[in-house]
Amino acid sequence: MRYLLPFLLGLALLTLWEIWVGLAGVPVFVLPAPSLILAALVDNFTALMAALWVTVKVTLLAFVWAVATAVSLAIVFTRARLIEMALYPYVITLQVTPVVAIAPLILIWVGFDNLSRALVIIAWIVAFFPMLTNTVQGLRSVDPQLHDLMTLSGASWWQRLIYLELPAALPAMLTGAKISGGLALIGAVVAEFVAGSGTSTGLAWRIIETGNRLEIATMFASLALLSALGIFLFYLLSFCEWLLLHRWHESFRR
Amino acid sequence: MSALALNAASLRYDNGFTALKNVTAQFISGSFTALVGPSGCGKSSLLRLLAGLEQPFIGSVTGLAQSQIGFVFQEPTLLAWRSVADNITLPLQIEGHSPNEIAARLDEALALVGLTDFADALPRQLSGGMKMRVSLARALAKRPPVLLMDEPFAALDELTRFRLDDDLRAIWQQQKCTIIFVTHSVTEAAYLAERALVMQGGEIQKEIAINQTGRDSGFRSAPAFTAACSALSMALGHGTSPGGGA
Ligand SMILES: Nc1ncnc2c1ncn2[C@@H]1O[C@H](COP(=O)(O)OP(=O)(O)OP(=O)(O)O)[C@@H](O)[C@H]1O
Ligand SMILES: [Mg+2]
Repeated sequence: MRYLLPFLLGLALLTLWEIWVGLAGVPVFVLPAPSLILAALVDNFTALMAALWVTVKVTLLAFVWAVATAVSLAIVFTRARLIEMALYPYVITLQVTPVVAIAPLILIWVGFDNLSRALVIIAWIVAFFPMLTNTVQGLRSVDPQLHDLMTLSGASWWQRLIYLELPAALPAMLTGAKISGGLALIGAVVAEFVAGSGTSTGLAWRIIETGNRLEIATMFASLALLSALGIFLFYLLSFCEWLLLHRWHESFRR
Repeated sequence: MSALALNAASLRYDNGFTALKNVTAQFISGSFTALVGPSGCGKSSLLRLLAGLEQPFIGSVTGLAQSQIGFVFQEPTLLAWRSVADNITLPLQIEGHSPNEIAARLDEALALVGLTDFADALPRQLSGGMKMRVSLARALAKRPPVLLMDEPFAALDELTRFRLDDDLRAIWQQQKCTIIFVTHSVTEAAYLAERALVMQGGEIQKEIAINQTGRDSGFRSAPAFTAACSALSMALGHGTSPGGGA
């Protein structure tokens, strides 16, 4: 039922769309029928898959980097208050400055010799912050009595980290990862938009390109692929969450 | 020789609340002391001070290295993602014992608290009393020279509690460890300990030695036990018996 219901709803809406577009005679360059979009997807399959792959690479690289750097920095923050105090305003600055505004700068600095690296950096900036704050919060909210237990066991700082803090922070980290995963994709799309030249060939660029050429069906097909990628990422991370937490965490108590 | 001592120690928490006022007490090596008193009088605070988990505001604490201390917290304090067995062996793992040694101590500790069948269970699958027994097993598996226990049996049914009381006495006699045991129960204090410290409002009000004659068999009906119970009840609340029961 969980899967059948949304599926049936989607099917019904698509059918309505198809019928309505046909009856009302909506021009193809405004809203193409689902069947045309499907046809466009099939016709441009190899090109679209190549574009998808480019976007996937940027998204995943940015996501992995965001997780790795955010978790490392969160650990440093919880160990050294002074470093946190010193760095935090800058992290905030990076977060609140609209990425679209920083992107051109990054493209100039990094992008001229290695465009995909610039794209990854832009997406990374977008994905980084929620992972950081969630991990810091997770590491900070460990039951103090469990810390006492580690103290009395004579745990070294890394034993404390491995045995207590990281597992205790895992639920918060995974919440952060789900948000960051989605943001990495948004970041990748924004980066491609801003890069906006023939050298970037991801899905977002396809959308601009086909838009300019009024190949609206292909544009919709690219859009559908982007959504599918986002949904796939979300469910992948939800599955990881389930895998890691369902045995012991309260949120998975039926 | 005293294993632990508080020397005119005061404890003040960050919010400015003074939980212990000018407390002096000696805990002779190998002694069994019960700590009784109404809720909020500072029993847990005193244990935390002795364990070095809090620092005295004034005065000093003569203590041991933290690795020498076994601590049973008032709450089970288990790692939710670790099985019962892995919770019990965590301190041993951190101390770096050999796998054989760890396995042997685990079996012994599990048997002692009657949780052998639950070695692979996760904490959320256990009842409150079972969790508390895991926490007890964890402290005992460490075989520490000093055991600080904060109402370890309060959540248990009476039969289990009586059995564990006896087991604890046996462990104490066998390992000659120093035990400081917080309890709300007058009878438990009288049954277990050699002396009881009665606390009130962050101070030790009274020290009551518990006559050990008739200790060997059926101490619960020995005159010395009854005498200790009424002496403790008197000290706690002028005849009424706070904390009640058992
Ligand atoms: N971390 C803390 N910060 C501030 N005040 C605290 C803290 N811990 C305990 N207190 C206060 O210190 C007093 C003594 O607390 P403590 O936990 O030692 O009592 P207790 O005798 O163990 O009580 P109970 O029998 O209910 O466990 C209480 O009034 C409590 O409010
Ligand atoms: Mg207490």
